[in-house]
Amino acid sequence: MPSYVVQNPNLQRTGPVVNLDVGIGATAEALRKTANVALPAPIPVEAMIDTGASVSVIQSGLPLQLGLTPIGVATISTASSAKFRCPQYAMRLLFANQVVFEATLVAAPLQGHRVQLLIGRDLLTQGVFVYMGCGNTFSLSF
Amino acid sequence: MAVLETELKTYEENREKLLAEAEGKYVLIHGEDVLGVYESQMDAISAGYENLGEVPFLTKQILRVDEPIEFHPGLLGF
Repeated sequence: MPSYVVQNPNLQRTGPVVNLDVGIGATAEALRKTANVALPAPIPVEAMIDTGASVSVIQSGLPLQLGLTPIGVATISTASSAKFRCPQYAMRLLFANQVVFEATLVAAPLQGHRVQLLIGRDLLTQGVFVYMGCGNTFSLSF
Repeated sequence: MAVLETELKTYEENREKLLAEAEGKYVLIHGEDVLGVYESQMDAISAGYENLGEVPFLTKQILRVDEPIEFHPGLLGF
C-alpha cells in the first residue's frame, strides 16, 4: 500500500498538509483527446486532510482554470453560516506516489491562499490516515 | 442564474416519479430533460460527458431527504 509519512515540526500549527496535483477527470480527458483539444496541465495544490469534512472540497476557481463544467450541486452548511449551493466537478487527484483518484469535488471558497483542497472522509474511506501529534508526524496510505 | 438552477427545478418536478422508480440511484439531468438513471454517480457523469459533451449537467442521487453537507467552521470562507 503506497504511503506518505510526513514529519513537520509545526504540525500543530499547519495541520496535516500534503502536496499533490489536480487535473481534469478521465472522461473529460478522453473527450478532449478524441476532439484533439489540448489537455491542461495538472495544477499543483496544497491539500489538508480534514476528518471534519464528509466530502472533499476544492478552492473555487481552480476547476474553471482547467476549463471544467459542473456535473452536480452540493448544499453546504456550517455552524456559522446559512446554507450555500456549490458546484461539483469531476476531477483527478494525482499524489506523488503514483496514487490517482477520480473524485467528485465540491468547489467552495477556502479561507486564505495556502490550502486549496480539503481531503475529506469520502477519499479517506479508501485509505488509512494516522495522526501522531506527539511526534509531529502523520501518515496517509492508500 | 444560480448554478444548474434549471436542472434542479427539473429534478424537483420529477422527484416523486424518480423516488418511486429509482430511489438511491443517480439521475442525469440536462436542462428540462431527465436523460437517465444510473447505479453510481461516476456512471452518470460518464454518460453526461459522452452524450452531452463538456456542458453543465446535473448528476444527483435520488433521495427522499436531501441533507446538506455539514462542515466544521474553519477553512470554508462563507
